[in-house]
Amino acid sequence: MTGYLAKRAGQMALTLFLIVTLTFFLVQAQPGDYATFYALNPDLPAEVRAQIKESFGLDKPLWQQYLVHMKNTFTGNFGVSFGHFPRPVLDVLAERLPRTAVLFLTATAVSFYVGFFLGKAIAWRRGGVLEYAATISGATLFTAFTPAFGLMMIWIFAFKLGWLPVGKFLDPLVWRGAEVSANHVFSYMLVTGAAFIAFAFLVLFFFRRSGRIGSAPLVRPVIAVAALAIPVAWAFSDIGYLALDILRHMILPIVTLTLISFAGTMLLTRNSMLETMREDYVMAARAKGLPEKVVRDRHAARNALLPVVTSLVYSLIFAIDGSVIIEGVFSWPGMGMTLLDAVRSEDLPLVMGSMVFIGLFSLLAHVIVDVLYVYLDPRIRYQ
Amino acid sequence: MTTSTHTPVLQVIDLSLRYQTRQGEVQAVEGVSFELQQGQSLGLVGESGCGKTSVATSLMRLLPENARLTRGQVRLNGTDLLELDDEEMRSYRWRRIAMVFQAAMNSLDPVHRVGQQIIEAIEAHGMETTVSDARERVARLFRMVGLDPQLMDRYPHEFSGGMRQRAVIAMALSCDPDLIIADEPTTALDVIVQDRILRELKLVQQELRMGMIYISHDIGVVAEVTDRIGVMYAGRLVELGDTADVFRSPMHPYTAALMSSFPSVHGERLPLQGLAGEPPNLIDPPSGCPFHPRCQYADEVCRTEFPERSIHEDHWAACWHPLEVTVTGDGSRDGCG
Repeated sequence: MTGYLAKRAGQMALTLFLIVTLTFFLVQAQPGDYATFYALNPDLPAEVRAQIKESFGLDKPLWQQYLVHMKNTFTGNFGVSFGHFPRPVLDVLAERLPRTAVLFLTATAVSFYVGFFLGKAIAWRRGGVLEYAATISGATLFTAFTPAFGLMMIWIFAFKLGWLPVGKFLDPLVWRGAEVSANHVFSYMLVTGAAFIAFAFLVLFFFRRSGRIGSAPLVRPVIAVAALAIPVAWAFSDIGYLALDILRHMILPIVTLTLISFAGTMLLTRNSMLETMREDYVMAARAKGLPEKVVRDRHAARNALLPVVTSLVYSLIFAIDGSVIIEGVFSWPGMGMTLLDAVRSEDLPLVMGSMVFIGLFSLLAHVIVDVLYVYLDPRIRYQ
Repeated sequence: MTTSTHTPVLQVIDLSLRYQTRQGEVQAVEGVSFELQQGQSLGLVGESGCGKTSVATSLMRLLPENARLTRGQVRLNGTDLLELDDEEMRSYRWRRIAMVFQAAMNSLDPVHRVGQQIIEAIEAHGMETTVSDARERVARLFRMVGLDPQLMDRYPHEFSGGMRQRAVIAMALSCDPDLIIADEPTTALDVIVQDRILRELKLVQQELRMGMIYISHDIGVVAEVTDRIGVMYAGRLVELGDTADVFRSPMHPYTAALMSSFPSVHGERLPLQGLAGEPPNLIDPPSGCPFHPRCQYADEVCRTEFPERSIHEDHWAACWHPLEVTVTGDGSRDGCG
């Protein structure tokens, strides 16, 4: 396992190096340079303009600039954002990246769960009303034009019904007079979420190891109690209402993303299930007198999951790609919006930094899915 | 052999099964009846597509969606399995009837540990209450079929073909069934492993006094492990008798042909004879005796009427012209029929 991870880390470093190189030359290939942001002022005399260029090191040959850029990137120096001056690029990204990651990881997880659940249900009971309803609506939503669909969702749920906020990360009226920053509350929320996931895994692990047959049914209640206890604990804390405000702003983008993407997982799961349901081990599981639900979930669906998990990588990458559009529609101040704004305003350090981190994020997504796959399929071992 | 005065473990009465296909209705099983005593083993032999696997899956009620049981009863210790509702049938499976599958290689789920797949059956039928007891039971079963108990935490892909076969047999024994159905369990194995596993299967079956139905296309293999043999042709049982009797004096011309198409290690050297022609199309089976188009003794009555026979005789054949006894030993027997 360690060797495998080391090898993967080496591959990641190499890929990251290529990403940084490509980003550098892509930006170089565009009209203008780092100095454009400051030097565009027509009132500046030519000498001042030259001086600005010199201060950015733009008088040096390209290969020297490249080496300096490389050195800076890999020593963690991404420079200072022009648009958010004087904040360093890393500082801006540290604020924006978690917001995007949480929104899109949650949306991907929800859409994966919904898709997998529906997919296995419609494969198991073929020809039912659910199959037609899920397939037709899923395929329709999957092919919908994302910005138009996002606007439609806002129009219905935020404008007409008024249930949810129109967009953005928080409501300034709610936060007026709050003594903590949004980042502070958000990081607490992240920690709570991570702790809950860790707890759920521990419970699963513990009950699987315990000695009594039939203790597995306790897993769900225990996790459910924890899931209920968390909102209650937050409600009694003095930042609970602030967290709720952030959560309310997350609902609409997550629901929209889920609706437009669950059909991919659903149809893939359905086809994969139809394959595994014909396997001899599913027949054997039924012959063993296992309840139908166990035959479906533990054998047919568990094996059908394998090819579907492979597609999770693409969903994750799609989520990051789509963040530019979805964050634009919902005014969500995450990586997509940051990148778009930075490109518009020629904030080149922020552009480069965003690109590198989006690349890093998709590399990590790949590794996580690979490790997950190894865990799910015992026939594959880390080589 | 076991006397037939006991109540039989299994009574199959007039079992008939149809498959709906695009080409038409397939008469896969037609009026099959037989009995099985406790601790007795019955071999079902016949060519591919003769309905032997369909009989097995009917007994477990694991039929594909396009199958329909049109007639008959399957009485296990007196209870007609075909009358049970799904939940009752579920509790009967494995607890009362277990099965060693045709594709034993693929009947282990690749993503779960072998021992765990046996434990889940033990768990589903409440055979043990704690995981450690269940594991102990699996260890016992593993030892019984000649596997190292430490292998129970391995995955199926870490097992060789023979080991998987043994594991599948251990799995079938896990809930002390009254009846075990072995559907060509050793076909995928090499001859030496096949032979060893057959012997062990027979020993275990006798030791636990289970009923066993052993299905194979290879009459030689069946002869090694079973007390009685039933020969199937075109969905019908055409001959049934004690293994020794059937071997010594096959009554149905098809049985004789089947036996002469497999080489025998013992006895005199005879030329192997193939059986001319194809098995009949079961969408439109031949009238009368289904074997008549391939039978050298066929005459008018064979073409028009099926030769019904009572199942209460010890050795019978559904044939208008049963063969005279081919004497190999005492020479005292007569052809019946």
